[in-house]
Amino acid sequence: MYILGISCYYHDASAALLKDGKIVAAAQEERFTRKKHDIDFPINSIKYCLESQKISIKDIDYIGFYEKPFLKFERVLFQHISSFPRSLKTFISSTPSWVNERLRIIKILRKEIKYKGDVLFIPHHLAHAASFFISPFKEAAILTVDGVGEWTTTAYGKGKQNKIELAKEIEFPSSLGLLYSTITAYLGFTVNNSEYKVMGLSPYGNMSKTNPYYLKLKKVIDIKDDGSFRMEMSYFKYHYSDRMPSRKLCRLLEGEVRKPESEITQRRKDIAAALQMITEEILTKILIYIHKITKLKNVVISGGVALNSVYNGKILKNTGFKNIWAQPDPGDGGTSIGAASYIYHAVLGKKRNFILKDAYLGPGFSTEEIKKFLDSNSIKYSQFKDDNELVKICANLIFNNSVIGWFHGRMEWGPRALGNRSILSNPCNPEMKEILNLKVKHREKFRPFAPVVCDDDALKYFDCDKPIPLPADFMLMVYPIKKKFHKIIPSVTHVDGSGRLQTIRKFQNSLYYSLIKEYGRLSGVPILINTSFNIRGEPIVCSPYDAYKCMMGTGIDYLIIDKFLIKRSDNLGDEWDSEKYAKD
Amino acid sequence: MNKFFSEFKDGMKNFGTTISIIVNSILLFLVYLIGVGLTFLLSKIFRKKFLDTKPENVKSYWKELNLKNQKKEECYRQF
Repeated sequence: MYILGISCYYHDASAALLKDGKIVAAAQEERFTRKKHDIDFPINSIKYCLESQKISIKDIDYIGFYEKPFLKFERVLFQHISSFPRSLKTFISSTPSWVNERLRIIKILRKEIKYKGDVLFIPHHLAHAASFFISPFKEAAILTVDGVGEWTTTAYGKGKQNKIELAKEIEFPSSLGLLYSTITAYLGFTVNNSEYKVMGLSPYGNMSKTNPYYLKLKKVIDIKDDGSFRMEMSYFKYHYSDRMPSRKLCRLLEGEVRKPESEITQRRKDIAAALQMITEEILTKILIYIHKITKLKNVVISGGVALNSVYNGKILKNTGFKNIWAQPDPGDGGTSIGAASYIYHAVLGKKRNFILKDAYLGPGFSTEEIKKFLDSNSIKYSQFKDDNELVKICANLIFNNSVIGWFHGRMEWGPRALGNRSILSNPCNPEMKEILNLKVKHREKFRPFAPVVCDDDALKYFDCDKPIPLPADFMLMVYPIKKKFHKIIPSVTHVDGSGRLQTIRKFQNSLYYSLIKEYGRLSGVPILINTSFNIRGEPIVCSPYDAYKCMMGTGIDYLIIDKFLIKRSDNLGDEWDSEKYAKD
Repeated sequence: MNKFFSEFKDGMKNFGTTISIIVNSILLFLVYLIGVGLTFLLSKIFRKKFLDTKPENVKSYWKELNLKNQKKEECYRQF
C-alpha cells in the first residue's frame, strides 16, 4: 500500500511516500526549485517520490493533506472580521490564493498529478503529532508547538501504539511560534526562516533575569503555572497585517525594527536572549505539567518550535521526561510524513513497523550519473580507488585546513545537512569559523558552526544526556562542550560554550563515520565542522550540478562527490562570485 | 517581425494581468466592505468575540481539544 503525504501553500512545501507503513522517500520542494522555503504545490517532490519507487500516481492508495483548509480559512476570515478595517490590505492580497489554490486542493491534485483516488485531510497538529508513529516509543506524551495550524498553536496529548489523542490546546492568536517570529522580524531577520539566527544570537545577550528586556517581554504574554499562555495582542499586528510587531511593541522595546544587515547592538542581543528565556520558561512549564498528568517517561515534540535545539538540549534535565524524540523535520515540512503516517496507522489502524533511524530519504545519484555529469561538462576530476583512499585523502585535506564539499548518497530530509550534502572542515583551526562565514557561507559573523561526532565519542567531548537522545542524530539538540575542549575545537564552540552537535552512528552512514574517525586519528580530535552545503539564502544542494555550482561560487576548495575528487583550482574557468547573490 | 509580435503578445499579456489585478482588487474591496464590514458591525452589536486578544483572570488558558483518532469519513472533510 502506498500513501502520499503532501504539505504546501504555507511554507516549506514537501511530499513524502509511505510504502506499507515505511517511509521510502521524502523531500522538500525547495531543493528542486532552488527557491528557499518554497510554498508552491510540491510537484517536483511528488515526481521524485513516485520515480524513486518506479510507480505511477495510479499506484497511490491515499493522499494525505497536512491540514483542514476550510477550517483554516474560517480562522483567516475571523481575523479579517475582528480586525476590520485594518485587515483590508491582507484580505485583498491573500484572498486570491485561498480561492484559487488553498480551497481547491482536490481539483489541483486532479489537474497537476492526475490523481483520482481518495484525499484525506488531517488536522494540522495531528499531522505534527503523528511523528510519534515513526518514533521508537510505544507510548509517549506529545507536545506540538508551532506558529499556527487551523486554529491550534500549541497542543498536548499522548500517543499509544497506533492511536494519538490531543487533549488540550491553545488557540490563535496566542502563539509561541508567532511570538518568536515577531521578535525575529523586530530584530531585522526574515520570518519563517531566520528564527534559528535569533536562537544563535541569544547567548551574546544577558541570559539572566536581570535582563531588562526579559521583564518587558513578560508584559506581552501572560504565563500560567501549567505553561498555558495568552498574548496581549495590542503588541502585535500579525493577525491583520504582514508586519508583525506593533508600534506599541517597538515602544516597549525602546526602538524601531532593525534594518536588515545593520549593526546588531547589545540591546538587540539582550532582546534575543530575553525571548529565548521566555520561550524556555513556557516550554519547561508545559512539559513539567504534561509529565505530571501523563506520568509517562517518553516525550515526542513537534512543530516549528521543536527546531529550537538550544531548548531541546535542556528538556530531559528540566522536565522529568527520560527520553525524547523529534523527527528530522519537526516543522511544517515534516507534516507530509505526519499526514501519511497518520492515515496508515491511525485512520486505517495498521500496526507500526517502522522507526525513522536516519534522514536519508531524498534523491540520490549513481556513480554513472555523476561521471556522466562531470564528463559532459568537461570538469577536471580524479577518481578514488576505493572508500579507504577517499577517507584518507579527505581527512588529510581537512586536517590541512581545506574546506570540503561532501556529496554522497541520498539527500537529507529536513533543514539540516547530516553528512550527505555537507560542507566539512577543521574545527581545531580558530580561524575556520571566520573563513567559512565570510568566504563560503557569506553569513553573519555571530552564527556558530555545528560539530559532528561519532556516537561513541560524543560523551567524551559533550555534556550530553545519557543515553544520547536520537534527535541529536538529526542536529536537534544543543549541549555544552566540556570546558577543557573549548580551546581545542574553537570553531564549533559557541560563545556560551555550547555546540549544536550531530551524532553519527556507523549504521546510518559508514563512510561519513569512517571519515570522522580517520580525522580523529590525524588530529587527536574525532570531530568535524559540518555545515549545510549551500550559500546563505539558498536551499541545500540537491543534484551534482547544484553542488558543483555552489563550490565554484564560493571558497570551497574541494568537492568530494561519490568516488570523485574535484579541485576548485583545476576548474577556474567555471568560477563565479556567489557573494552578491547571498541573501537572507 | 517575429520579435515585434512576440513583444506585442507579452505586452498584451502583462496588460491583461494588470487589468485582472485591478478588477480583482475592486471586487475584493467591495466584498470586504460589504461582507466583512457588515459582519464586523453585527459582531459589535451582538458582542461576539472572534479572537481572544487579551489575557484574562483565569487559572489556565488550556482549552479542550479532545482530538482523538479520526475516522476515515471525518478525514474526507476539509473542515
